[in-house]
Amino acid sequence: MCDLCMKHGAGGKWYLNAEHYSNEIVEKYNLRDFLMEQYKNFEQMSVRKVHGFNAVGMGYKLRIPLIGRIIRRTAESLLMSTNPPTNPFKPEGHIGQVIPLEDAIAILETCAAEPIIEKNCMCRYMSRGEKEACCINFGVMSEIVDKLPRFIPEKDKYFLTRKQAVERFKEHNRKGYIGTIWFGPYPYINNLCSCANPECAGLRPRIDYGIKSIFKAEYIAHHHEHDCTGCGACVRFCQFGAIEHDPLKKKITINMDKCFGCGLCRHACKQNALHLTPRDEVHGHEKDY
Amino acid sequence: MKETIKGKTKISIDYTKCGDGVGVDPRECCACLRKCGPAVFLLHQTIGAVEENPYDPKQWRVTALWLDLCTRCMKCVESCPVGAVSVTWRQ
Repeated sequence: MCDLCMKHGAGGKWYLNAEHYSNEIVEKYNLRDFLMEQYKNFEQMSVRKVHGFNAVGMGYKLRIPLIGRIIRRTAESLLMSTNPPTNPFKPEGHIGQVIPLEDAIAILETCAAEPIIEKNCMCRYMSRGEKEACCINFGVMSEIVDKLPRFIPEKDKYFLTRKQAVERFKEHNRKGYIGTIWFGPYPYINNLCSCANPECAGLRPRIDYGIKSIFKAEYIAHHHEHDCTGCGACVRFCQFGAIEHDPLKKKITINMDKCFGCGLCRHACKQNALHLTPRDEVHGHEKDY
Repeated sequence: MKETIKGKTKISIDYTKCGDGVGVDPRECCACLRKCGPAVFLLHQTIGAVEENPYDPKQWRVTALWLDLCTRCMKCVESCPVGAVSVTWRQ
């Protein structure tokens, strides 16, 4: 169990707690206006200064002695903030977790608030200039995206039924996009994203700078060595660089420290040699989120 | 992370050639964004302008954001049709 589950899970996983998807939270914190303002200006979040710093040249700033450490701590506390959201120009309380396909299906089938929409990914738009419909949003988000034409997909379907949403998510997952679920802002869950490594603004701080902007999944990948033929198909699917091919043994090795537990490698394996184990049961990685 | 150069990489974009300075809409082109391996660039609305009208095409620009991840492959410089991008570093 990660910290988020301990605090907000009500005995289970935080993202399977239907309370976080309810419209009551939206009313309580007046999130309609907040989210509208945030998504209107979403692309410029990284260039806006927060406490005197913006993300331009982040790596260089983090390397400054002492100041770098302060920036890192400020960024993490901002992302993990549990105070009521106040400033839509800050990524306050915007913390997420990697989830495998099974959990995403459980969310879409039971927890997600209607109406479910699929909008263009903002991260891919702002870092590649490409419009690809692959972010599944719930509840109040449909009202917000309605007013922002750049996020409405032109070719793909906009409003989805639960069944269609599951199908779309499966499609993205098999393509090799990492499933992630986000508080945006805490305590409201409205995003089920299909992320890709260099483009995603949420994965970037974690992978490239070690800032905890996203938690690893509740699972960890392991493989049955006798089933593995060493074809190396899974290596290409791993966006975290956790799987390495060993040409001597003709098998793969999984780096447990790097594994985020997204479960994408399973889609590549024809031998069915890869499986997910709950992180709690893997010795030495119980607290590694 | 092992560094191959000592100094910082600087990527400057000439806004008099691309973006809000002239009528060139960076959202139409995005050549540098698409070519960049580590996705260093960010396409965004200019900060001051947003409060007035966020949908005005003249108010979008490209900024080089994750400068330390740049691998100095110079693909952005080669691909820019108006020659607005320049990459410099100290050896």
